Amino acid sequence: MNEKERQEYLEQYKKDKEKGVPFFPDILFKDAVISLVIFIALVALAYFVGAPLEPRADPADTSYTPRPEWYFLFLFQLLKYFPGSLEVIGVFIIPSAAIILLIALPLIDRSAKRHFLRRPFILGATILSVIGVLFLTIQSNREIPPPLEVVGGDQTALLYTENCAPCHGPSMTVPESVNLHEVIAQSEHEGMPAWSGDLTSDEIDALAGFIISPAGSQLFTDNCSECHEVAELVASNPIALRESIQLGLEYEPHAELDIPNWSTSISQEQQTTLLNFLVAPDGQRLFATNCAPCHGQSVAFAGGEEQLLETISQGGMHLDMPPWREMLDDSELDLLARYVTDPNSVPEGAETFQANCSSCHGERIPSSEDLETARQIIAEGGGHEMMPVWGEVLTSEQLDALVTYTVAAAEGTSVEVGQELYSQNCALCHGEFGEGGPNPSRAGDIIFPISTEEYLKTRDDFTIRSIIAQGQPNYGMSPFGSVFGGPLDDEDIDALVTYIRSWEANPPVELPPEIVVEVDEDTVALDTEQIYVQLCAQCHGLEGEGGIGPSFEDSQFQDTRTDTQLLNAINLGHEATSMISWGDVLSVDQINEMVALIRRFGSPSVSGLPTPEGVSFASDVMPIFEAECAACHGNFGGWDASTYTSVLGTGNNAPVIIPGDPENSLLAQKMLGTHSIGAIMPPAGLLPEDEIQVILDWIEEGALDN
Amino acid sequence: MSVGFGNWLDERIGWRKVWDAIFLRKIPKVNWLYTLGSATLFVALLQGITGILLTIYYVPTPDHAYDSVVFITTQVPGGWFIRGVHSWGASAMVLLSVLHMVRVIMYGAYKYPREVTWFTGVGLLLATMGFGFTGYLLPWDQKAYWATIVGTRIAGVAPFIGEPILRIMRGGEDLSAVTLARFFGTHVWVLPTILLLFLGFHMYLVIRLGISAVPGKEE
Repeated sequence: MNEKERQEYLEQYKKDKEKGVPFFPDILFKDAVISLVIFIALVALAYFVGAPLEPRADPADTSYTPRPEWYFLFLFQLLKYFPGSLEVIGVFIIPSAAIILLIALPLIDRSAKRHFLRRPFILGATILSVIGVLFLTIQSNREIPPPLEVVGGDQTALLYTENCAPCHGPSMTVPESVNLHEVIAQSEHEGMPAWSGDLTSDEIDALAGFIISPAGSQLFTDNCSECHEVAELVASNPIALRESIQLGLEYEPHAELDIPNWSTSISQEQQTTLLNFLVAPDGQRLFATNCAPCHGQSVAFAGGEEQLLETISQGGMHLDMPPWREMLDDSELDLLARYVTDPNSVPEGAETFQANCSSCHGERIPSSEDLETARQIIAEGGGHEMMPVWGEVLTSEQLDALVTYTVAAAEGTSVEVGQELYSQNCALCHGEFGEGGPNPSRAGDIIFPISTEEYLKTRDDFTIRSIIAQGQPNYGMSPFGSVFGGPLDDEDIDALVTYIRSWEANPPVELPPEIVVEVDEDTVALDTEQIYVQLCAQCHGLEGEGGIGPSFEDSQFQDTRTDTQLLNAINLGHEATSMISWGDVLSVDQINEMVALIRRFGSPSVSGLPTPEGVSFASDVMPIFEAECAACHGNFGGWDASTYTSVLGTGNNAPVIIPGDPENSLLAQKMLGTHSIGAIMPPAGLLPEDEIQVILDWIEEGALDN
Repeated sequence: MSVGFGNWLDERIGWRKVWDAIFLRKIPKVNWLYTLGSATLFVALLQGITGILLTIYYVPTPDHAYDSVVFITTQVPGGWFIRGVHSWGASAMVLLSVLHMVRVIMYGAYKYPREVTWFTGVGLLLATMGFGFTGYLLPWDQKAYWATIVGTRIAGVAPFIGEPILRIMRGGEDLSAVTLARFFGTHVWVLPTILLLFLGFHMYLVIRLGISAVPGKEE
C-alpha cells in the first residue's frame, strides 16, 4: 500500500462511516442478541451435559489413554505423523512456523486489496488451514477410543487395538533399526508404559511383528490360527518356521495333516510378510533362539557391524577350518581332542587351544561328547560346524536387528559397563554392593551405605554424577571425573550412575538391618553351625557362597585375611551396614569357632555344614519357620508357626502336617507349590532346596518334637 | 433530576465525552459476522465471573484439588452449574475467537491501519489457548493428569529450550504438587493479567480506528 492508497482508504472509510449507524443502540443490540444466544447455549450445555469429571488422577495407572481437550486434538494428531526423531518437526517446527506466520500476516499481505476474492492466495491458505485442522481433529476422533473393529479374530490385532492404538492410531511406521521389542518392553518415552509389566515376552514380539507386518498377522489368522497360537510360533525356531511354509506338505510335522500346501497356496510375497510377522526383528530373541544354543549367552564379538552381518548372513560358508593334522603332531591333536571333550581333565590343553583355536573360537571351547569324533573333526577341519546360512533364513530386517543387538550386547549394556567400572573404582571404599564400610582415607570414619533405597531416592542423577565427578574432598573421596583430573570420562560416569540407579529397584542394603537376635540363653547356647545358619547365612549364604555379604568360598577372601582380622570383623562388625558387631551377641569362644567354620568354607574338600543325623525340630526345622514363616504366621491369624504345638495344631485347615506323610501334608504342598488352591508359600517363591528337604525329612520322620 | 445529576457528574468526571466516543461513534454498515468479537468478549467476561466463583471453593493441591472439585459439583448450591458454564465457556471462547479471526482474515481487516490490532488479537488467541491448557489440569482427574503429562512432554521436545521449558512448566522432572500450583497460578493470575492488558489495548484500537467496513467486490 502506498501513500495514495492509504489516503484513498481513509477517505472511503470516512464515507462508509457517515453512511453507517451509531454503535448504540444499533450495533450493541446485535451484540446483545448474539451474547444472549451464546449464554443460553452455555446454560443449556451446563444444565443438560455438565462438566465432565473423571476418576481422581492416578499416576500409577498405565492403561489410561491420555487425550487432550478437543481444541488441542489437531496438534496431538499431527504428532502421530512425525514418529521418532522427526517428532521435533511436528511438535516444534510446524506450530512455531504457524504462529509466526499468523502474527506476521499483516506484514506479509500488504496489498490494498481487501475483498477475499481478490486475495486468492490468502483465501486458499486460510481454507487449507481450516480444512487441515478440521481433518486432523476428525481423524483424531476416529482413531482414538471408539475401538477399531477387530477383523476375524485376529488376536494380535486385538492386542494392538487394546494397548497401542489409543495413542499410536491404527497403524504405525517404525524407522529402520529400531529394536521394537525393547521399545515396547521398556517404554521409550514418558506417557508410554513399560509393557513388560503387562504383556508376556511372546505377546510383545507378536505385537512387534504386527507393527512391522500387519498383513502377516492377517495371513496368520486366516491360515494358521486354527491350529497354532501366535505365542507358540513367535517363540519357535525361524528355520523350522520357514521350512514349514516353504516345503509345504514335505515339512514333516505337516505331512500327515489335512491342510493346504502352504508353499503353493501362499504366494512368495505373502510368505515373507507372514515370516516377518512371526519372526519379529527382535535382536535379543533372535540371538537367544538362533545363536545361543551354539554360541552361549555371552556375546563376544570384536569386529565391526558390517563384518558381523557378513558372517551371520553367510553362516557356515565362512567357516574355513584348516585340516589341523597338517600342522600339528599326533600328541597335540590328542591333547586338543581330550581338552575339548573334558577341559578339566587336561588343563595343559588350554595353552594349545589358545595358540591354535582361540583366534576363531574365542573363549568358548567347542564341546564334544566323544573323543574320537573330536579328534576327527580337528584333524580334518573344513565344514565341521553346521552354522546355518542365516542370510537365506532371516529377512533383512531380522538380520539387521540381530546384528545391531549382537554388536550392542558385545559392548555390554550400560548397567554391565557400570558394574565393571564400579568394581574397579568404587568397590574398594563403598563395598561391592555399596554397603559402605571403614573409610580407608580417614581413620575412624565410616562410609555410609549408598545402595539403600533412602539414599537413592533422595539423590537425583545429577547429584550422583557430580559427586562422582568432583569427589567429596571433605570426606576423603577424590574426584573421579576426567575434567577434575580423575580417570573417568562422562560416558563412564553415566554408566556408573546407571548401575548405581539399578540398585534402587532392589536395594542390596536395607537399613536398619532387619536381623532379629534374641539374646536369651537358648540362642546363645546354639552351636556354631546353628548360629551360622540362623544369623550369618542370611547374608553370606548357607554354603558361604555369599549374597549381600562377601563369599567365603572366594579364595581371595580367605587369603587376604588373617584369623585375627576375621575375628575382629565379626566382633566389631562394619558400622552402618547389615554386619553388626556380633560381639554383643556371641561369646569370644563362639566367634573363634565361627572363624574356624568360615575357614572350612574356604577349603572345597571339606563340606561346610555337616549333615545332621536325623532332623531335629528345635534346631533344624524351627529356625526355618522362624526365618521364613513367622513374620506373618503367628501375627496375622491362621496357621501359627511360633511353637511346636501351634505348628501342628493351628490353621484354618488344621492340621497342616500329617506326621510321616509329607505328600499329603498341606504345609508341604503349600511350600512346594503343588497345592492347587492359593499361592505358593512363602509368597516370595520356593525356599532353598535344603530347607525344603529339612522340613520334608522332619515330617517323614514323624514330625517329632525333638 | 437525572439530567441534572448527569450534568453534575459530567462536570466532574467528563463521562459524556467517553460515552460519545464509545457508544455514539458511527459504525459502517456491517453484518452479523461482526458480532463475533463482542461475543468472545462476553464469554471472556462470563469466564472471569464463573472462574472467580470457582476459586472460592477450589484448592490447588494434589490431595485436595479433586475433592474440592467434587465438593463444588455435589455440595455447593449451584456449584455444578457454575462449573458447567466455566467448562463449556472455555470451549466457546476458543471457538469464537478462532471464528472471529477467520472473519478478520476474510475481510482483510488486519490491513492498514489495523495491523497492531491484529497483533494484539493473536496475543489474545494464544492467551486463550494458555487458559485452556492450564485450566485443564486443575480438576486433577485422570484426563487432566495424563493430558498434561503428554502436553508438557510435547513442549519438552523443542530443541535446546525444550528441556528447560519442560522443567519450568512442571517445576521439576515430574508432574507434582509444584506443577499444579504453577498451573493454578498461571491460570488465575498470570494469564488474566496478560489477557486484560491485551484486551484493553485491543479495545482501545478498535474504538480509535473504528470497525473495518465490509469490503466491496472492487476493493
